[in-house]
Amino acid sequence: MTWKAVCATADVAEDSVRLYEVDGIEILIANVGDGFRAYPPMCPHMEEPLDDSAICKNGVMTCTKHLWQWDMKTGETQGPAEKPLLMYEVQLEGEQVMVYLDQELEYDFDDDDDD
Amino acid sequence: MSCFRPWNSRSGYPHLPIAAVRIEIRKKEQAAGFEAEPGEQLLYAGLRAGVPLPYECATGTCGTCKGRLREGDIDHGWEDAPGRARLKPARGEFLMCQATAGSECRIDIPGRLQGFRDDDITPAHHVVTLHGWEEPCRDIRGFHAEFPVPVRFHAGQYFVLEAPGLSGYRAYSMVNYASETTRLEFVIKRLHGGGFSEWAFDQNRSIEGVRVFGPLGRATFHPDESRELFLVCGGSGIAGLLSILEHAHASGHLQQHRATLFFGVRTTRDLFFVDRLRALRDRHPENLSVTIVLSDEEETAVAGHRAGQELDWATGLVHEVAISALSEADGPVDDLMVYLAGPPPMVDGAIRALIIDAGIPPGSIRYDKFS
Repeated sequence: MTWKAVCATADVAEDSVRLYEVDGIEILIANVGDGFRAYPPMCPHMEEPLDDSAICKNGVMTCTKHLWQWDMKTGETQGPAEKPLLMYEVQLEGEQVMVYLDQELEYDFDDDDDD
Repeated sequence: MSCFRPWNSRSGYPHLPIAAVRIEIRKKEQAAGFEAEPGEQLLYAGLRAGVPLPYECATGTCGTCKGRLREGDIDHGWEDAPGRARLKPARGEFLMCQATAGSECRIDIPGRLQGFRDDDITPAHHVVTLHGWEEPCRDIRGFHAEFPVPVRFHAGQYFVLEAPGLSGYRAYSMVNYASETTRLEFVIKRLHGGGFSEWAFDQNRSIEGVRVFGPLGRATFHPDESRELFLVCGGSGIAGLLSILEHAHASGHLQQHRATLFFGVRTTRDLFFVDRLRALRDRHPENLSVTIVLSDEEETAVAGHRAGQELDWATGLVHEVAISALSEADGPVDDLMVYLAGPPPMVDGAIRALIIDAGIPPGSIRYDKFS
């Protein structure tokens, strides 16, 4: 796999996320103001679908299931969250948001709690 | 190798347990073991052994108590449990609140094993008598559960109850508060097609032999946290919040801290507990404010009803009214602890508005989603 066009920059409003599917892989695209990010579609806590459960404000995404929060730019945890977001590499080609799809990123329950 | 197959009947099952079976929960750095009685839900077995398993509703609807079976045999229990909607059976996923063990099991869980507070109260099974049935308004049924031994719980917690002849527990928050008591008070909204609810509306006599488990739930009030309270509820969600207010009153918390309650129902005909709320408010006129929010009532009808009631009234959706009041108040929110109780759309709407519009940190919002 390689760089894939996922959506147009205008498709995702600033400070929000939107779900896309590319080659059977679901990707959550985030508009963080000065750029875009791409995460797996699930909350790393209990696999809640973030396109439904996430709310975004001031660059912070909150999963409303159990209120885990992350910095949308870095994927790092905030507050009670215990695991960071995984991120795909993203670049812009003109108005296209491109994501590097080498392999599907998945959270591994059997490998968490590394602190 | 895990052997993962559903089974509905114990007859003919080769590993039929005749005694408690050993369950092992494993995480990379954490391990815990407990024993489950035959037919006992694995979540309840773990919790009563003091293992802080993850859960929220404990009754099959939320999916929080997801486990992965690594070894052993289980019966999945309730096949149509809403919480199973997003499970991946091929990966051995199941709901611990529904499943019972057919053999020794090894189970992995997501997240970490983590208690809530040092003074968490270990839940237990009890067999109780239900009595004192009353209907404080249409489609609302109140009753008491009489325990054979005194039980402790935190204000805001709930028990799960199983109606005789019906399989499956349902969660109900306690209305009253006492540090130790043999009598818990509950209130139920009529839910057409809801097994326990329909059953409860048919009862008038004392019912013995009702199986219950608890206390459960993390949306608890603790005076030692010294927080101002902001309480938002819809319908029978008032139960747990009234328990919190009663504890806040009895512990002296309301003499030092403010509490603001928004109680939403559809119309004036759906109102209950108004006398109790007014009595509490009258004891703390400076620090406790109570606003009744009616969603399906015209302003004019509300104006007629509010005369002589001495509470605050509003029309609209309770979480919208409450959170716009909070946003307009413009005071510091650091000292606030928010409690939400009611139908899931109300709780979800409130969470979004609290975080986005009112800037409340998630650590200051408490709720247990069950319905």
